[in-house]
Amino acid sequence: MPMRFFQITLPLFIVYLVLTGNLTLPNLVVGLLVATGISVLLPPIELPPFSLARLPSFLWAGFRYVFVVAWDVLKGALSTARIVLDPQLPLNPGIIAIPSGSKTELGTALSAHAITLSPGEMVIAIDDDGVMYTHCLNVDDSARYKDEAQALRKNLLSKMFE
Amino acid sequence: MSIFLQVLAWVFLIFGTLMSLIGVIGFVRLPDVYTRLHATGKVSVFGVVFLLLAADILTPLVTWKSLLLIFFVLMASPSVAHSIASAAYRTGIPITGNRDELATKLDNRPPKGLLLK
Repeated sequence: MPMRFFQITLPLFIVYLVLTGNLTLPNLVVGLLVATGISVLLPPIELPPFSLARLPSFLWAGFRYVFVVAWDVLKGALSTARIVLDPQLPLNPGIIAIPSGSKTELGTALSAHAITLSPGEMVIAIDDDGVMYTHCLNVDDSARYKDEAQALRKNLLSKMFE
Repeated sequence: MSIFLQVLAWVFLIFGTLMSLIGVIGFVRLPDVYTRLHATGKVSVFGVVFLLLAADILTPLVTWKSLLLIFFVLMASPSVAHSIASAAYRTGIPITGNRDELATKLDNRPPKGLLLK
């Protein structure tokens, strides 16, 4: 339980304080109650073990991940906007299977998150083997580049979590 | 506030509004629920991010708050799009287009294996 406190309750508490921006005693008490309540309601989750030696590389990979994802969001939004505004509506939708190649559930979840943010792709379902069934706006392009794109994501994610 | 920041904020404001508008147009024009989710889940979210950036500059009180909100929007929107798409697929809403590798997968094994972890 104390590990759970540092991994879930404390971050939630800090986020609550940042969002309310109010350090008076009543607000501290309410924030602590809300954070405790949420962490009790959450099902038990497995987080990777915390180690201080890996923290710098973890933070650096996380920092890079945020920028890669932000760039993907920008490209994704602009390409989707272009398709929407095109008078011909150049669509070729379909669902393809992309193996996540990650062993942990957290790794698969983050891969799915990154795919959904990247241009024209959205994960619909994940099966037991970690294969992500992805809906694409242009299925031929996505099928052609799926291995390269997934290798890049996996490389970055494995630096963070393995 | 410097004139440069002011202009930047207005550019963000206009761009964000434009993106939100395109998201709505996409919602009307695209053929099925899955492709529509691409428009609302990406273009509109991007619009919200730019509107928040503009608010960040124009109202100095909320600097870290709007950055945190952008982070949460970016974290939450794929999950929302995913769960709507997943629910739509499982209730059998047909998909436009002729390539569907999930359907062939479902023919080979019981649908139970598809349940999300």
